[in-house]
This record gives sequence, structure tokens and C-alpha cells, in this order.
Amino acid sequence: MRLALNDITDGMSRRWLWSAMAWQDVMQRYRGSLLGPFWLTISTAIMISTMGVLYSALFKMEIGEYLPFLTLGLLAWNLISTLITDGCQTFVAAENIIKQIRLPLSTHAFRLVWRALIIAAHNFVVYVVVLFLFDVPVGAVTLLVVPGIALVAANGIWVALLLGMLCARFRDIPQIIASLIQIAFFMTPILWKPELLGPNEYLAHLNPFFAFVDLIRAPLLGQAPHAMSWVVALAVSAGGCALALALFAKFRSRIAYWV
Amino acid sequence: MQASISLQNVSVEFPIYQGGSRSLKKALLRAGTGGGIARDAANRVTVKALNGISATIEHGDRVALIGSNGAGKTTLLRVMAGVYEPTSGQVAIEGHVSPLFDVGLGLNPDATGLENIRMRGLLMGMHPQEIRERMEEIAEFTELGDYLSMPVRTYSAGMTLRLAFAVATASHPEILLMDEWLLAGDAHFLEKARRRLTDFVERSSILVLASHTETLLTEWCDKAILMERGAMLAFGPVQEVIALYHGRQAGEHVG
Repeated sequence: MRLALNDITDGMSRRWLWSAMAWQDVMQRYRGSLLGPFWLTISTAIMISTMGVLYSALFKMEIGEYLPFLTLGLLAWNLISTLITDGCQTFVAAENIIKQIRLPLSTHAFRLVWRALIIAAHNFVVYVVVLFLFDVPVGAVTLLVVPGIALVAANGIWVALLLGMLCARFRDIPQIIASLIQIAFFMTPILWKPELLGPNEYLAHLNPFFAFVDLIRAPLLGQAPHAMSWVVALAVSAGGCALALALFAKFRSRIAYWV
Repeated sequence: MQASISLQNVSVEFPIYQGGSRSLKKALLRAGTGGGIARDAANRVTVKALNGISATIEHGDRVALIGSNGAGKTTLLRVMAGVYEPTSGQVAIEGHVSPLFDVGLGLNPDATGLENIRMRGLLMGMHPQEIRERMEEIAEFTELGDYLSMPVRTYSAGMTLRLAFAVATASHPEILLMDEWLLAGDAHFLEKARRRLTDFVERSSILVLASHTETLLTEWCDKAILMERGAMLAFGPVQEVIALYHGRQAGEHVG
């Protein structure tokens, strides 16, 4: 356990290393394409404008209200799902480094979370556009997005360690995760508002994905996140950290053999 | 500080995951069915890559690892690098280790030579500040000149090697671990590399080199470890160990 904690603190202290690696990953996406990660931004923008029109008609909602909701929900979801799907590759993708030199294994988790944050920042452009087009209120409550994103990123670290280990050992897990993520996307109020559940609305609040989406989406829409979102998100953080740490302490030394 | 590598009864076992054992679905099904079939299917094969290795390498030692393919040389190097934590036994390493196993480590073919020097330096544990300070020295050692601002994918194998070697030795590590590939360099570069290593070992550091090229081993190393099927057969002066190695090989051919 002590070794596992050392690994994590050592990893964290090498900030210059994982941030450089993350930037290199991002720059790699820029090479050979002028727009780089902005392609993602463009595809998000196209997806939002087409789906916004369709679903606002389906749900009979005012487009001015629905589109900002959908946009920010998707942006939050993109960050969360990137953290999870990339988390499966934490160690497998770093195989050649892991087998060559001794580095704190958590370095790879920090690299991945940092990369996801940099890419998410690209999508911020979409938020600014929506902000101006639809008159989204901005105020002190908007600042609540900072702890929200920080909490999502912190959870990204344990997810990267945990899924990274599991996927290094069992190679069919990434496919399982990918289909679970797809289901979670439709089950989470991103395309639809939780109020549509009527008396069953409380069920949506028990969904941990909703909690994390809400912590990012609500402040950017100028609202305070639901209190339940904080409770669920903090509970998931505590449970996830404990589980990931326990497994990391047990299997850390085996990871080099698995990749 | 005096560098040292101390191995006590070190063993390494590799799990061999084939087909089903890599699959969670099958692992769950096994757990579900239970009984005799389960045990049969779950039978995990392991390969003992290192078997009870004990050796102490002191400061100033230049050790050659000798043995046929699959004898465990690379695994032993990786244990010394701290990459593999042994399944049993103790490893104690004093000093900063700089492994040079793969020229391609951390190399981004689309980035320039200078960018790659920086990235590789970071991976080797250098601080950005330290890299900035040593950049000129590293660049000079590579003798790559203007090529350093070209993407690494335009480099030949020998050029990439120069870059990797320059970075690996730049941080003045106490322990340098090298695998086979070093031979890709040309004569001029090998001579230069040898001078740097001599210089490096004189500062009371350790060099461990795995190779099949005898001239290189006798020239660069003073001690040798003979490996066979994961076990250490001999550890002593390089000439004696090489003679023993030849003797065993001849014996095998006759037998």
C-alpha cells in the first residue's frame, strides 16, 4: 500500500513529464491536419445543430432552451466518456515505456487525464458560440464549473488506474466498456431533461453519470447543480478511489508483466 | 555516491496468457461452471525467465551479459532497470539507472530531433531545466547538426542511435544498462561512444551490456555473467567466462 501511494505521489510530482507527454499527444493530432483536435469541435458543433433541431421538435421544446442544454450536456459527456474509454488504454498504450524504464505507473494516468482536459478545452469554443447565440446567463454560479471539472478530472485518475489495470489483464474489457458507455449515454439525461421522467425523476439523480454531467452543465447554464449531484459524485469519488487504490496496491508490480 | 546493484536469489516468472486467459468473459464463465473443467481451463502456464540469480555488481564494474537467445539476458537487464519487480528474491539498486534498451523509446517520428531529445530526456528523469542546460552538449555529441531540426523519421538507424545514446548518457547516470542494438552505429561513432563510456565508468559507475559481439564485450567490459535458461552459470573476469561459454557451446554440439 505504501508503495502504491508513493507511486501516485511520485507520479504527481513529475508534472513536467506527464504534461509534456499529454501535449505531445495533442500536437500529434495537429500534425498533418491544420485543424487538429478542432475537428472534434466541428463534429460536435454539427451534431449539436442537427440533433438540436430534431430533438427540440420531438420533445416539443423551445430551441433556445433546448440547444444550450444539449450542447453543454454533450461537452460534459465528451470529457467523461473520453476519460473512461482512454482509461482502458492507460497502460496498454504505454507498453513500450513501461517495459523500458522505471517510471511511477501513475504518470500514465495523469498524462491521460491532462490530455483529455486539453482536448476538452478546445470544445470550449462551442460553449462561447452558444453563449452568445442564446443569451445563456453568466454569473457567480458559473464559477461552480471549476470544482465540477476538478472533481471529474480527479475521478478520471482513479478510472484510468482501475480500467488501465483491468484492461491490461483482460483484453476484452475495452469492448465491454465501449458498449456500456453507449448505453449510459442514452440512459443519462443529455438528450432529454430529467423532468420528463415525471414522478420517477429521482431515478435520474441516482445515475452517477448524471451527477458528473450536472456538475459541469448546470453552472455553465447559469444554474446551481442539484444537491444530489454533489452527494452522488463525492460518494462515487470516495468509493472509486478506495477500490482503485486497493487494486493498485495489490497488482501494481504485475502491470509490467501484463502489458 | 557509490553505485551498486545487488541481486539476491532473484526469480522472475512470466505468466503466459494464451487465448482464453486474456478474456474476462471466459474467466467469468470458468468461475460460473466451477469444478474440474474450470481448473483445467484456468491452468495458467508460467515461464521461469530467471531462476535464483544472486550477484553483486560494484561501482566501476563493466559487466557483460553473455548467453544464447532466450537465456534471460534482457529480462535480467529489465530487473536491474526496475521495470520488472521479481516474483521472489531481493533487488537493491543504488544510483540513478539509465536504461538504453530500445532506441525508439519515446521517439516521435514526426517531431524534430531537438523535440525528441527533450522528450526522451524527460522520460529518462531529467528536469526540463536540466535539459535546457545540457541541450547544447547533447546536440554536439550527436554530430547531427542541422538534421536536429528535421523530423526524426528522416533519420537513418545510426542517426537515431546517436541521438538516443547522447541523451541516455547526458544525465550522468550512475548505472547504464545497454542491450544488443548498440551495434548499429558506425566505427567512428562506436569509438566515440566507447570513449564516453570509459570516461563514464571512471567516475565509478556501472555499465551492464548484453551482446553477442565478443570483440565489443572484451573491449568494453571487464567482468561477465553467463546466463543459460534463466540461471546464472558463471560470474567472473570476462575472458574466463567467454572461454567457459565457448566450452559449453562446443560441448552441446558434440553431445
